[in-house]
Amino acid sequence: MTVLFLVAIVLALAVVGYVVARGRALSSVKGNVRELHSLPGYYGWHGFIMASLPALALLSVWLIVQPMVLERTVATLMPTETTADQTAFKLAVADIRRLAAGLDVAVAQGAMTEEEARSLNSESSNVRDTLAGVGVALGSDVSPETLLAAQEYRVKSATGTLWRMIAVIAVAVAGLAYAVSVTNAAFRARNRVEKVVLALLIASASVAILTTIGIIWSMLSESINFFRQYPVFDFFFGLTWSPNFRGGSELGFLPLLWGTLYITAVSMVVSVPLGMFTAIYLAEYASPRARAWIKPVIEVIAGIPTVVFGLFALITVGPFLRDWFAQPLGLGNSGSSVMTAGIVIGILNIPFISSLADDIINAVPQSLRDGSYGLGATKSETIKQVVLPAALPGIVGAILLAASRAIGETMVVTMGAGAAAKLDLNPFEAMTTMTVKIVGQLTGDTDFASPETLVAFALGMTLFVITLGLNIIALMIVRKYREQYE
Amino acid sequence: MKDINIEERVVSDHKVKITARGVQVHYGTTHALKDVDVDILSGTVTAFIGPSGCGKSTFLRCLNRMNDTVSSARVSGSILLDGEDIYDKRVDPVQLRAKVGMVFQKPNPFPKSIYDNVAYGPKIHGLTRSKAELDAIVESSLKKAALWNEVKDRLAAPGTGLSGGQQQRLCIARAIATSPEVLLMDEPCSALDPIATAQVEELIDELRSQFSVVIVTHSMQQAARVSQRTAFFHLGHLVEYGETGQVFTTPKDPRTESYITGRIG
Repeated sequence: MTVLFLVAIVLALAVVGYVVARGRALSSVKGNVRELHSLPGYYGWHGFIMASLPALALLSVWLIVQPMVLERTVATLMPTETTADQTAFKLAVADIRRLAAGLDVAVAQGAMTEEEARSLNSESSNVRDTLAGVGVALGSDVSPETLLAAQEYRVKSATGTLWRMIAVIAVAVAGLAYAVSVTNAAFRARNRVEKVVLALLIASASVAILTTIGIIWSMLSESINFFRQYPVFDFFFGLTWSPNFRGGSELGFLPLLWGTLYITAVSMVVSVPLGMFTAIYLAEYASPRARAWIKPVIEVIAGIPTVVFGLFALITVGPFLRDWFAQPLGLGNSGSSVMTAGIVIGILNIPFISSLADDIINAVPQSLRDGSYGLGATKSETIKQVVLPAALPGIVGAILLAASRAIGETMVVTMGAGAAAKLDLNPFEAMTTMTVKIVGQLTGDTDFASPETLVAFALGMTLFVITLGLNIIALMIVRKYREQYE
Repeated sequence: MKDINIEERVVSDHKVKITARGVQVHYGTTHALKDVDVDILSGTVTAFIGPSGCGKSTFLRCLNRMNDTVSSARVSGSILLDGEDIYDKRVDPVQLRAKVGMVFQKPNPFPKSIYDNVAYGPKIHGLTRSKAELDAIVESSLKKAALWNEVKDRLAAPGTGLSGGQQQRLCIARAIATSPEVLLMDEPCSALDPIATAQVEELIDELRSQFSVVIVTHSMQQAARVSQRTAFFHLGHLVEYGETGQVFTTPKDPRTESYITGRIG
């Protein structure tokens, strides 16, 4: 019985639980809803939850635990040398599972009977050829131990699946019976249901946090691997970035940090004034009609994929800057440059800042503006001295969000600023950023044990720390002004 | 309304500060104010009373052209301040509002320090040349608003951290600091408790010596307590305007009498 089908059965039982518990609650007061502690629907939902939640929880635990237990059991059938260390164990188990899955397919397609699959042995027949006949390709010839283990795996997992079904349905029925038995007029169904909803809300909130912890964990372990092979000092203070997959690379991080910060700075110089002025115009000066079409049009920019902006940088902005600024000024003749990428990322970020800041400025109460006008302040004095200071925490948040986006931008930099890691002050020189190099080091045929590849994780970790620091600064600024202003 | 203690009031021969003739206000298609004629005297507290939606706040907002900030509002008729039409094209509403200050129904201190709240007006109008002068204005305004003793040790604290009554007095201090000639108050006590209300009322009485004060109020007791002249508005019309004692004791119009005795509202 498949998991999906099992879930369907549990949900069907839950629906039965809803109907029965609700009906019982109603009949216990002879239809007079006022005598119930909670609304009838809550009794129904209590039945639904009690029938489904424990059963589904058991099912998910089972789904995680069963393969682990099975692997341990069948691995004992393998020769000890194949399961000695972690990697070999994983490989052996993978072989067993692939073979077991192959046998399943063969049985399903009728190439062999269930009986044959169980009694098959590697001396009497060539398992590899048999399975190839039904479209399952095995990497190597099957050893007798693996075949035995795979057969054992199939038998045990079939038993496990059967017991899984029995246990889950039993729990669902028991939950249903419990819910129905406790249902009476005084039962506090609403409080129970609300507790479950609260737990659901908390669980949703933890998903993001747990994911962050998972990201940190995976990057941290790989970064530590990297620093075992490459000196920490050379990474953080090295001035040269020249990875070489034949070994002997210099993996200095400073040129990448410089490129990242330089491009981000240029983009912020473009996006902050333009975005803020746009927001002030939209929120304070634009007529409702102008606002009604300008705002959506600007927000369209936010919906354009960054790779399209990359094209724009590559074929329009880059050559334009080269022909009209870099070459006449004698600053080089590269179409890819910090300016190209910075300006395009800046444009990309305008709607981000303008849209957020516009909402924030609009949220400043009209009474503050009236108070200022009532004292004889002009519109611009009011905006500069009352509205913007009141909106400052939100505006800082919007700007730092845009900065995080600029730091993390990859596509536009690849296409607009090139991939050459350089430490240079000339803004018309090609440079590159950390994100581009992360992609660069991990694409193509890679060996996940060499420092040239692992450096990507160290870069990712550093990038994570930088943006985290930026967000913490943003939070601190917001909190400081919030204390002062509210 | 026998419980209201209406004192005999002597209204001296103050000169006319604001003259309104035939003022009409439309909000979109709503005719909010119909043909209002009023003379507001200097050195006097004038109370506007009337049921909700009668146009008294609308008229108040005409006096410093705050209705300009409402895009659907249209004002016609003439309002003269010291003989000059404030709706004349040459008059800048910004300059007008420096002369005609306003205190709002809900306290709306700026998200700045107490000091900066009061210093805001003098700063934007360039009234002071030195920090010492500004300090003096802030101090005297806070004193006039009866707030100085409560806040003198924490002038750098945010104005929004004060209690409701203190916030309203801060807003009054802020309005006084620009030394206006007329002070408009739109239900300044509606969000205050009785003690704060009493403080603000006392303050209004003191302010009369320097400004001409116009106050919109829902409380007839308050109108009777603080004002020398009272105007009664009903459904957009100015029904009756006269000396406060007379309006409350011997109203000429039956509608005024019905309102102050609680029959219409």
